[in-house]
Amino acid sequence: MTVPEGIVWAIFLLPVASLVTVTFVTKPFPRLSGFVTIAAIGLAWVFALWTLGAVIHSGGEPLHFGTYRWLRIATDNPVLNGIGGPNLDITLGLRIDGLSAIMLVVVTSVSLLVQIYSQGYMEGDGGYSRYFAYMSLFTAAMLGLVIVNSIIFIYVFWELVGLGSYLLIGFWFNKQTASDAAKKAFLTTRLGDIGFLLAILLIWTKTNTFNIPMLQTMAQNNQISDGVITLFALGMFAGAVGKSAQFPLHVWLPDAMEGPTPVSALIHAATMVAAGVYLVARMFPVFQASTEAMRTVAYIGGFTAIFAASIALVMSDIKRVLAYSTISQLGYMMLALGLGGYVAAIFHLLTHAFFKALLFLGSGSVNHATGTFDMRKMGGLRKYMPFTYATFLVGSLSLSGIVPFAGFWSKDEILANAWGDNKLLWAVAMTVVFMTALYTFRAVFLTFEGDYKGGEPSAHGEGAAAHGSGHRMPHESPWVMVLPMLVLAVPALLAGFVNFPMQSTQALGHLLEGALPASSAAALGNEKFNVLLAASSTLLALLGIGLAYAIYEAKLVRAEELRKIWGPLATLVERKYYLDDLYEGLVVRDGLYNVVCAVAQWFDTHVVDFAVNGAGQVTRKAGDTLRRVQSGSVQAYGSVGFAGVVLAAFLMLVLLER
Amino acid sequence: MNFDYTLFIPEFMLGGLAALVVALDLFMPQLRKSWLPYVAATGLAITAGVSLAWVNKQTNFAGIVSIDNYTTYFRVFFMLIAAVVCLASGRLVEDQLRHPGEYFGIIILSTIGAIGMAAARELMTAYLSLELLSFSLYILVSFAKFDARSNEAGLKYLLLGAFSSAMFLYGLSLIYGVTGSTYYGDIASALSRGTHDFSFALLMALVLIIAGLGFKVAAVPFHMWTPDAYEGAPIAITAYLSTTSKAAGFALLLRLFGGAFQVVHDDWSWMIAGVAAASMILGNLVALQQHNIKRLMAYSSIGQIGYLLMGVAGLSHNTASALVLHLTGYMVTNLALFVVIIAWYNLTGKEEIVDFRGMRERAPLLAGALAGALFSLAGLPLFAGFVTKFILFQAATDQGYYWLAGIGVVTSVISLYYYLQVMREAFVSQPAEGERKLQVPYVMQGLTVALMAGVFYVGLYPANLFSVIDNATRFLFV
Repeated sequence: MTVPEGIVWAIFLLPVASLVTVTFVTKPFPRLSGFVTIAAIGLAWVFALWTLGAVIHSGGEPLHFGTYRWLRIATDNPVLNGIGGPNLDITLGLRIDGLSAIMLVVVTSVSLLVQIYSQGYMEGDGGYSRYFAYMSLFTAAMLGLVIVNSIIFIYVFWELVGLGSYLLIGFWFNKQTASDAAKKAFLTTRLGDIGFLLAILLIWTKTNTFNIPMLQTMAQNNQISDGVITLFALGMFAGAVGKSAQFPLHVWLPDAMEGPTPVSALIHAATMVAAGVYLVARMFPVFQASTEAMRTVAYIGGFTAIFAASIALVMSDIKRVLAYSTISQLGYMMLALGLGGYVAAIFHLLTHAFFKALLFLGSGSVNHATGTFDMRKMGGLRKYMPFTYATFLVGSLSLSGIVPFAGFWSKDEILANAWGDNKLLWAVAMTVVFMTALYTFRAVFLTFEGDYKGGEPSAHGEGAAAHGSGHRMPHESPWVMVLPMLVLAVPALLAGFVNFPMQSTQALGHLLEGALPASSAAALGNEKFNVLLAASSTLLALLGIGLAYAIYEAKLVRAEELRKIWGPLATLVERKYYLDDLYEGLVVRDGLYNVVCAVAQWFDTHVVDFAVNGAGQVTRKAGDTLRRVQSGSVQAYGSVGFAGVVLAAFLMLVLLER
Repeated sequence: MNFDYTLFIPEFMLGGLAALVVALDLFMPQLRKSWLPYVAATGLAITAGVSLAWVNKQTNFAGIVSIDNYTTYFRVFFMLIAAVVCLASGRLVEDQLRHPGEYFGIIILSTIGAIGMAAARELMTAYLSLELLSFSLYILVSFAKFDARSNEAGLKYLLLGAFSSAMFLYGLSLIYGVTGSTYYGDIASALSRGTHDFSFALLMALVLIIAGLGFKVAAVPFHMWTPDAYEGAPIAITAYLSTTSKAAGFALLLRLFGGAFQVVHDDWSWMIAGVAAASMILGNLVALQQHNIKRLMAYSSIGQIGYLLMGVAGLSHNTASALVLHLTGYMVTNLALFVVIIAWYNLTGKEEIVDFRGMRERAPLLAGALAGALFSLAGLPLFAGFVTKFILFQAATDQGYYWLAGIGVVTSVISLYYYLQVMREAFVSQPAEGERKLQVPYVMQGLTVALMAGVFYVGLYPANLFSVIDNATRFLFV
């Protein structure tokens, strides 16, 4: 089975086409805009499956496609002339192998289901067409990011993904919190991108190429010096920390929940936040060449996993619980990558994409019914929303890692990796298993069990036409919303079997290893399924569920009592370790705004005044006509300019003295 | 010696056009108000077409002016900018200014000066061209005769401009003193024979020249006139200040430093690097605190000048091409942004950032272009700003200026912050009661769309433009 190159490009171009169509043609007809987008992404999904088929046929090895020159940069450097011919080319081509084919299927399937769901969720919203245009933009950028074979184009799509996310988080831009959250997300992720861009600048200067296979080979053959490799890897990881919301740049993701819930499901659970993990996996051979970089990835990931899980324990907003859970699970993936568990990480990315998207859609469905995300105002929804409950439960069991749900298998592979490599991080990961089960089932019990506490009395769902308003009792969501959840429940239950450990050949692992250069694949640890480990992690997860049951359902211990016992510690966690306050208050407002900018402003105005009082005084008296120039600042400006010259001359003299 | 006056046909045409515009205004007053901008723009566009006749011809006039691809590129470039500015200022001139003939005439004359700066290969010619441009700008900045702000800005700009010209001229005379020539080529060969005997005088000259040109392009610490002049000038002239005046400064800088001073690169590159770093940092940080869109654009342009100077610091054929590419992309973006600001100002009479409120509802096309232009300035992919800035940073790191590129990348992120603040007003804030949708004139709509198309063209597929530029900059180092 082969796939024509045009079909692969079409996967990326179809959402671009729907973006253009929706923007310029179908904008006045909202429903049609939705259909156009869904049709485009549906077709892209078919093509993605086709591509996956071809890749399975090749055993995960990269397929051969053409390379196109995008820009030729001439050089007059004779050394470079010797190496790379007279010109340097920036080329664009496809990189379709086990890794990217799997990502294509994940992105298109989740995107397709989310679009279908959105038809119900966004029904009647004034910006319905605009919503689908942004969704198309985002999906196109994400797919572009996955298929290209050049680090510079990954960066281009990386930024566009960020732009799509910015537009979608701030979709309800009239809501102050939403537009603030959008800005925060955009800026925070771009902070990480500083490192990414510098890494790209560095690597091009050192290797004269952006081509990923070439960079991988060079790194594996030690053709790049250790220092450069480490800097390059760490720079890219900085970008990944921003996009994948790892500590310390995780603060944007919980706020991003201000966007429409389907957006959270697509972008902030399954795709964009997974881009960071994908980047590290894509460049895995480079990371392998630097122990320092690998260790950094592992420890940042491990710390993020436990740190975010602790906050998830105390959030009362169901979407924020899921957001912190996402951060924590992404940390899990990073931890796996850092310990060499390349297959385990992508396996977990795959299962997580499905079950977390499912959970988010479930929370959206709940909001659709009750008009709130506050779990304290929910309760008892099991009776009213049986489908939502059932699918949410599947997602939760998968997230908690209970046999045989998808999450169990992937999480277990990560634990097996950690056990073999680093006992400290293994212990962290095990603790996170317990915490995950606890916070997940806390959410399940608070939302679906007990008695209904009435939702939001002023009853406004986040959508313009949330159906909660006016209804006394919540009811199940329309079928366009339920259906995608039911469909997603299938992989959330079964996706674990794509890499079923008992089989002689692990299908997914085989595909993914095919994507690596031989030397890199050979260096992967080969962790065997460990029954004892699996049993103990399951036990821990069950304990977590049991504790959640004891506190929130059976009420053996009152949650308020518990909180009192923990006292200041609980406050610390509830305030998210004060990191948001630190960043916004101290770093941005006080540090950047009140100090740095003020200094710059002061320099800009007062150095001038200083010059007025000094050098400008004489001229001011002399020049009567100049008085008309208010404030006489011309002399001052001139003086400063002159001072600049004098300073430069002084520096120059010092230089001459050498 | 080649005294072929036909080389100056485009400049003669511009001179004729300027005279024609003034004459039309004087003798056919019924025409003058609404038609003059079109006459001026059409004339400029035709002249730009005529100047294409010199593509790939390398010749010169008596060694003082070189007509090569570099000159041709900037001829077309400056004429098109002038045409856009003329078209964009139509309503503004009609409503608020007197003597439209002189206004358009002076813009056209200033274009001749700008072209001369790009073409000159001799110090006095360069200086005279610079002064022709500067004097035109002094008048244009204070063109709103009855607006005190405009007058004040014009006077300040005149005094500081004269001050900087004096420094520049003094530097040039020192160069003549130590090398015995005013021709770039002769200066270069004199310098390559060793500078030991006059190293101090040479360095003093370089300092003065950099300071003088630093004033013209508004680089820190020679930038103070910029916010005042930007704010006080009629808004279309602010657009002109931020484009032609800066671009011409760089055209001269590249020709002069590439042609004459490249042999003593180490003596001046550190100064330019320092000025570049200071401009990027100060420009972007102070921009964070501005409330007036013109002042914001002034500081933002100071930051952008820093990026461009990075290319001068590590001057080579590569960086020169990267610089001109970024300059082009930046100018197109800047014009797009200013067309939006001018159109909005024409319709509402307001220029504070908070006055952009409700733009999305009231003029969606303008708001879209505003967003696109700001994203481009912030360096996002798809838009011109990303590719051109990236290639420029890349060229600078190739020359070993990692730290400059680092500052550039960090300050770009800071700049995104204030650009988003502007966007927030346009998109998030609701229009006040009773403000309804605005009808943007077709000229402005057309300009906006055309310029945004340019922004995307440069951003998506810069290969053709880049090879044209690369073909032009190779003449800098002869």
